Amino acid sequence: MTVGKDVRYPTLILSFNSLNQEKYYLYLIIITINLQSQLFKLNYKIKNCSKNVVNCMQTDNLELKKLVYLYLMNYAKSQPDMAIMAVNSFVKDCEDPNPLIRALAVRTMGCIRVDKITEYLCEPLRKCLKDEDPYVRKTAAVCVAKLHDINAQMVEDQGFLDSLRDLIADSNPMVVANAVAALSEISESHPNSNLLDLNPQNINKLLTALNECTEWGQIFILDCLSNYNPKDEREAQSICERVTPRLSHANSAVVLSAVKVLMKFLELLPKDSDYYNTLLKKLSPPLVTLLSGEPEVQYVALRNINLIVQKRPEILKQEIKVFFVKYNDPIYVKLEKLDIMIRLASQANIAQVLAELKEYATEVDVDFVRKAVRAIGRCAIKVEQSAERCVSTLLDLIQTKVNYVVQEAIVVIRDIFRKYPNKYESIIATLCENLDSLDEPDARAAMIWIVGEYAERIDNADELLESFLEGFHDESTQVQLTLLTAIVKLFLKKPSETQELVQKVLSLATQDSDNPDLRDRGYIYWRLLSTDPVTAKEVVLSEKPLISEETDLIEPTLLDELICHIGSLASVYHKPPSAFVEGSHGVHRKHLPVQHSSIDTGESPVSGGPAAAMDQPHVIPSQGDLLGDLLNLDLGPPVNVPQVSSMQMGAVDLLGGGLDSLLGGDLGGGVGGSPAVGQNFIPSSVPSTFAPSPTPAPAAAVSSGLNDLFELSTGMAITTGGYIAPKAVWLPAVKAKGLEISGTFSRRQGHMYMDMTFTNKALQHMTDFAVQFNKNSFGMIPTSPLPIHTPLMPSQSIEASLPLNTIGPVMKMDPLNNLQVKTHTLAQWGKRQVFLATWKDIPNENELQYQIKECHLNADTVSGKLQNNNIYTIAKRNVEGQDMLYQSLKLTNGIWILAELRIQPGNPNYTLSLKCRAPEVSQYVYQMYDAVLKN
Amino acid sequence: GFIVKRELSQKAKLSIYSDLVNVFYEMVTALPGDQPPVVMVTHKDRYFVHVRQGGLFWVATTTADSSPFTIIEFLNRLSALVKDYCGVLNETNITENFALIYELLDEVLDYGYIQTTSSDILKNFIQTEAVSSKQFNLFDLSNVGLFGADTQQSKVAPSTAATRPIQGSREGGKSEIFVDVIERMSVVIGSNGVLMKADVEGEIRVKCYMPNCSEIRIGLNEEFSIGKSQLRGYGAAVRVDECSFHQAVRLDEFDNHRILRLSPSQGELTVMQYLLSDELPSAPPFRLFPTIERDKGGRLIVYLKLRCDLPPNSLFISPCVFNIVVSLSQELSSPDQRAELRPESRAVVWNIPRFAGGTQLSALFKLDIPDLSSASLLEVGPVSLSFELPKLTATGLQIRFLRLSPIQPSQSQRWVRYVTHSDSYTIRV
Repeated sequence: MTVGKDVRYPTLILSFNSLNQEKYYLYLIIITINLQSQLFKLNYKIKNCSKNVVNCMQTDNLELKKLVYLYLMNYAKSQPDMAIMAVNSFVKDCEDPNPLIRALAVRTMGCIRVDKITEYLCEPLRKCLKDEDPYVRKTAAVCVAKLHDINAQMVEDQGFLDSLRDLIADSNPMVVANAVAALSEISESHPNSNLLDLNPQNINKLLTALNECTEWGQIFILDCLSNYNPKDEREAQSICERVTPRLSHANSAVVLSAVKVLMKFLELLPKDSDYYNTLLKKLSPPLVTLLSGEPEVQYVALRNINLIVQKRPEILKQEIKVFFVKYNDPIYVKLEKLDIMIRLASQANIAQVLAELKEYATEVDVDFVRKAVRAIGRCAIKVEQSAERCVSTLLDLIQTKVNYVVQEAIVVIRDIFRKYPNKYESIIATLCENLDSLDEPDARAAMIWIVGEYAERIDNADELLESFLEGFHDESTQVQLTLLTAIVKLFLKKPSETQELVQKVLSLATQDSDNPDLRDRGYIYWRLLSTDPVTAKEVVLSEKPLISEETDLIEPTLLDELICHIGSLASVYHKPPSAFVEGSHGVHRKHLPVQHSSIDTGESPVSGGPAAAMDQPHVIPSQGDLLGDLLNLDLGPPVNVPQVSSMQMGAVDLLGGGLDSLLGGDLGGGVGGSPAVGQNFIPSSVPSTFAPSPTPAPAAAVSSGLNDLFELSTGMAITTGGYIAPKAVWLPAVKAKGLEISGTFSRRQGHMYMDMTFTNKALQHMTDFAVQFNKNSFGMIPTSPLPIHTPLMPSQSIEASLPLNTIGPVMKMDPLNNLQVKTHTLAQWGKRQVFLATWKDIPNENELQYQIKECHLNADTVSGKLQNNNIYTIAKRNVEGQDMLYQSLKLTNGIWILAELRIQPGNPNYTLSLKCRAPEVSQYVYQMYDAVLKN
Repeated sequence: GFIVKRELSQKAKLSIYSDLVNVFYEMVTALPGDQPPVVMVTHKDRYFVHVRQGGLFWVATTTADSSPFTIIEFLNRLSALVKDYCGVLNETNITENFALIYELLDEVLDYGYIQTTSSDILKNFIQTEAVSSKQFNLFDLSNVGLFGADTQQSKVAPSTAATRPIQGSREGGKSEIFVDVIERMSVVIGSNGVLMKADVEGEIRVKCYMPNCSEIRIGLNEEFSIGKSQLRGYGAAVRVDECSFHQAVRLDEFDNHRILRLSPSQGELTVMQYLLSDELPSAPPFRLFPTIERDKGGRLIVYLKLRCDLPPNSLFISPCVFNIVVSLSQELSSPDQRAELRPESRAVVWNIPRFAGGTQLSALFKLDIPDLSSASLLEVGPVSLSFELPKLTATGLQIRFLRLSPIQPSQSQRWVRYVTHSDSYTIRV
């Protein structure tokens, strides 16, 4: 059959009598639907024939049935009526004796995204989940995931999730694999629920199924295993032992998923054990084998190997040869290989690596040659013994006079000078010969830097620099800044001859330039030079900090996260999934498991500590003691409630301003920061030459960083016995260039404090911390500056406690994700009647119901616990064996919340109904209830 | 031929947007150079993953953080599967078998979850018959590549025989089985003639068109060994470093007798992959003795002498194409043999159609290069060869026997073929 222009459409409906014709026209329709081709605009006509198509469902011909189903899948959305007509057929087909037809029906049902019919499909689906044929069961398992995507609530209510969990124990491995895949996907949208319920028994079942199912099923199972945290090293080891055989699988996706599991569990194994070392040895051959695939597979493999090499270089240190470039590799593979070669370079193999790099530097491809030249420089910096040889290789390359090679060589020689000062100046003369050929800003800046740095040894340094000055305004900012600094250096070294030059450059920089960075730097030098030349000398010519060996390492925390995502897109982009997947479930980040013997970071010493030392104003509110209430309780505890949906809101938070600048500009560089914000979370120690240019953190990252601040902290601190949430990570190091902040809110002596732990996870030390609160819903402001005065060294932590007050300006925030709940009794406000009146007064649509699960307390304990947390019970009733507690609370900003808590003896799940004029806070109140009752 | 075969992956719903195809087309054509297979699309946050097979782009789209490995591997499998079912991979064939492919996809993928890619299992579900394209068309001719030179010889099946749809056997086609041992060499020989790196990647591929064959036993050389430690007997072992097998292969007789047992599915199957690194059992097949100098007229003189070190009694090696990439050249004045200059890649390409074992060939190139300096000599080089050696394996791996059970009728044919390709054969000057 061919599709030509002469589609004899009108005959379509007429000829539906003969089976063969039907078949072919259905092909035609389907092809048309899918190609959406401009040639065949059949759409409107197809509508007319949909009835005929549905009639065809009755056919016994499997081939035709398939086509009809295909048609339905494509057209149901636009023609819901047709889908409804088809429901009966589906139900009937689900009971067909032929398992193929049953499965076909289930599969198609799930793909019809029409709300109205979904409920009719529950019963057939339930039957198919328990079908005797594994092919039907496995299709039904996937169907649950489809249905969950359409209507999550219904899937939960109908108990499909439990059926799915039962399927994990199924005898057919394919069914297990699909059940695992479906559950994994569903649980991604419920980060907190433990849907998969990974426990040693289940893990065991999965491992058994792993050996039997198809390669694709193995991938699902391995990915699921990687989310499991074994409880001790013995368990980790036994899982590793059973996963290791997968490493020799022919499917590279299986191999990589297995590598991911092993990389994660390696964390748990003691480093000196025999098994640990055996495992490391076993990891290397499969990784090498991945490189023999197609270039596409190689590329993805190399990106992953890049991560693995950074995390555990020992795995591949013997295998450097496989990363040598082949002449017919695509360029993207070449570049990746080069990167890995450098990471693996060591004293043992440097000779080999250098010989290779030298070959690469004469290749044809410009990008590759540049990178090869740069790699030679990185070798010199990394392996000190090879520096001499690298430099001579670079000089050879400069001799070729190939423009881009020379320029690239000069850039890396600058770095070599930084690393080994005063060692290779003899080559400066050669470099200067090439001054005229440099046309790229990087190379020009590098050359200028070299001239400025070694001005005292270059006789005509002033002439050289002056020659650059002529076209000062045409240069890029980078060159301008370097030139300015270089001339100032020159002046300080040879003040007599160069006064004119320095004045010229300063006036160019300060008066004629539009660039604030340049102006600022110009003024700084100008003032330094004019007020105190001695200090100027100390500042400008001070000894520079050493540069690190590896210039482009991924931050350790990010690396750890990426290791958890081996094999996924994140590992190809080297970015966390939250950075590029829209609507990602950023809330639950994956972490590498922590070895249990070394837990010291897990629990913060502060969280429990201060409570004991506090003199608690324990207020027992009595009816009418209004004054006491007001005095004491109005300074109630702040509660910060998770706000899951806030990821995209980009809201400015409590710490918004401060973090804004922290993330956005100031961190990047000393001079060019954003003074307008006035926030000073500036680690100012970044060495000026190597300061990363101010990196504007992407807006998304900033806002999610800010929201992270609160989404995890259920901070709440109260009077004696009150609950202080453990510190939660507000600002992960990934988001803030290595600064991690975790904290909680507490209340001591009637004052609120924000307890924070600052941890420096970057490679440089950080100083000058300050904090500012943006306007927030509760007027919260700090009453004293942040008490951190000493610099924060790498991997050091500092505890700080910041007193807070609520007298600041109030601004309603949307979302209300930092909610400071000021609990307040209704006692003085009313008796039951008032409560009831208010309850009725608030419109019903503002009532929200929640379930508090797994709480084993009786009504009195509940009431006591809540009272400790300033939620007072107004009345208690017993209706039909259920305890009803009526409670109220008030937030500091004057919002009243009425609550009805229903407790059924013997049932650990409580029902909480909340009524409030501002229903948006209910969610947080519920979460606070949940937190209080469970602690 | 350019066709966009759309493929639904994780989360991508069945409703396909035709504009996506255009977006992809634009992205692929906008970047003429090699681009990484993962392409990001900024609008709608959709990601494309594509591979190229049979001159077609195979594209999958995904919105989630799914594994590109899985997708690439899947796309490769899918194209193999389509090839199994439709015969040859080309644009017309795919258009004609659209419904079949759609049906395949439906079974292979469910809601983005890959269910199975085994043609054997799928056979139970697939109803549509393949529409075979004509027996001989231009596309078939273009497929002659791999074993094309052997087509005239009676011992080897025509290459078209191996590229027919698996369903064809139902209609009484010949029952045949092909076992191919394909090896790829990558060799780097330093400028001093020292072998710097030599890797061989190999695979055994089975193409089976025997509907009632339940088990194949493939016997390898008995002295075949894996890993460095377990050298056997007299040291003349056929050795590989790593080995991986398809999961349908049963290895119970492998350890002792080097026999692979498998129940073949119809169509193509990569039974075993292996890798030998850093060590060749024999000397590298080609050696080059280059002389490069400047003559008085400022010309670059490149004299190349190429030796083939294969045993003299080995048959003709054909066809051979030698790519001699000599960077930087402006004019080729006196080509000694069939040679051409490629200014865009700054290379001279020297084509040698046939090259017998144990013989030697030479070529002299004179290149006029403006501003020739002594430094430019540094830029000449490396020489890369690409070739194909039929009936040879670099590792020495052989198929000892091929037994089918139940015993097949006499008209069934079995083919065992060996070939070694150059993956990257570089000689530095």
